[in-house]
Amino acid sequence: MEPQSKRRKEAESDNADSWVALPVLSDQQSQDTELISAFAAPITDKKETSRLIKELRCLYPLTGLQHIKRVRSRKPADGLHSPEVLVCLVSDAPDVDLHSESLAIDSLLPSNSVGLDGLGPPFLVKIPAFPPLTRPQFQVASKHWPTTFHEDKQVTVALRGELFSQPQKARMQGYMEAALAAARAGGGLGSGQEPVGAAMVDPKEERIIAVGHDCRGGNPLHHAVMVCIDLVARGQGGGAYRFEEYPACTAALSLTSSHSKPASETSKTIARVVDEGQPYICTGYDLYVTREPCVMCAMALVHSRIGRVFYGTASSDGALGTRYKIHTQKDLNHRFDVFKGVLGQQCKDLYGLKDPIKH
Amino acid sequence: MGTETEMNADLKPGFYPTDEEIEKWMASAFEMAKDALENGEVPVGCLMVYNNEVVGKGRNEVNETKNATRHAEMVALDQVLEWCRHGDVDPQSVCVRTVLYVTVEPCIMCAAALRLLNIPVVVYGCGNERFGGCGSVLDVSTAQLPHTGTAFKCVAGYRAQEAVEMLKAFYKQENPNAPKPKPRKD
Repeated sequence: MEPQSKRRKEAESDNADSWVALPVLSDQQSQDTELISAFAAPITDKKETSRLIKELRCLYPLTGLQHIKRVRSRKPADGLHSPEVLVCLVSDAPDVDLHSESLAIDSLLPSNSVGLDGLGPPFLVKIPAFPPLTRPQFQVASKHWPTTFHEDKQVTVALRGELFSQPQKARMQGYMEAALAAARAGGGLGSGQEPVGAAMVDPKEERIIAVGHDCRGGNPLHHAVMVCIDLVARGQGGGAYRFEEYPACTAALSLTSSHSKPASETSKTIARVVDEGQPYICTGYDLYVTREPCVMCAMALVHSRIGRVFYGTASSDGALGTRYKIHTQKDLNHRFDVFKGVLGQQCKDLYGLKDPIKH
Repeated sequence: MGTETEMNADLKPGFYPTDEEIEKWMASAFEMAKDALENGEVPVGCLMVYNNEVVGKGRNEVNETKNATRHAEMVALDQVLEWCRHGDVDPQSVCVRTVLYVTVEPCIMCAAALRLLNIPVVVYGCGNERFGGCGSVLDVSTAQLPHTGTAFKCVAGYRAQEAVEMLKAFYKQENPNAPKPKPRKD
């Protein structure tokens, strides 16, 4: 299953610094910080702070904004040391004239609800509407108003492009090189194949399970990802496609596979294999594919319970980042991590071979 | 669901199915779904009809092939392509005049596959809240995807309750191949 010659590996090994695998995050994790308008007021007497927070919270609980800190302390660098408290959202006080020169604090607070001692004149601020999910979002949000932040350290490291160590990157590069070699072999066959390749990897055993390429010349639905999924099934004693014409599409036979068994026994066999802790179809496997999968292929990976997906370059109707983010789709019963950019330039260069429009 | 969506608008006469056709072909699709249920597969059955002829049919074959993408529609689409190869006819010209009859809304993957082959009309029974690609989870059927074939029309809701009951009967049995459910993190 070693698809690349040693010489080629050495020649390309110095490219490991030429690419970065970046995570493809959900819209919620990657969107710009949305802001909403609110009124804040300086606390002129710090001794009143806890009483003011308590009474304001009672009057204006700021439902749905649990990430917002009620009080911010001005930095000493500003020259002013007085803390500021969030009074209410602009939408909580619909009758207040925002354009009035001097806003009175009692216009925001019904009489007797909050004692006004220690509270200065209110002013407008923008506060983040949603809790920040990533460090970049947190940094932007904090410029407007302080929020809580439950940091996912792995996401932070991944966004810096530092999630994978050098030895890991070298292995990842080897897997993508196998996909690239398959893409070239498939594209070289002519008859309608697009230059796309994929490799299925068992990351625990650091082993390539299957390598395939786009076979749409024979069947328009046999995209590289679909081919790879079927090769995995074949390796487990199943499979539905025919590969006689495609010698570059290969599967490693799983040790637990049992093709000699009659079809009636196969589902029993899977059940047994699952009991022994063996993977359900592609559970725990990583897929390396030269370009971002289409909608069909992305959903096929959900059905196959893929572990992670690494792709080289984006595609215009791509469903793992470009057009959809199926791997983060709410309502689906399986989600997974996706990284893009592994050997991105080499993957892009495949289209120099033919038909540059389609990618 | 339950109503005909955006029908008749710009479909040429000839491959918009009549009520009689829907009744006739959906009856066959339901028979296939029952067969799937009796064989321990997810009870979905489908037919692909071209010129009043069945050119493809399928039921779920996931367990049998150990390939989670072998849904009824994918099996049937492969048969349509095979039928074209045998008859030496252009698949493109056949697919654009072929109607899919299926007991359950196609999933996101199958909806994309139907687009890639330019199938113009899909008649289905019940919606698919778990995976549906014709509006339930995503609407792949009508989305702007210029590199993913053509959009298609749906006629939804025919014998929907019956299709739901079959799915319920299946999910009540234990699926020995399903992975153990993990608690949701969010």
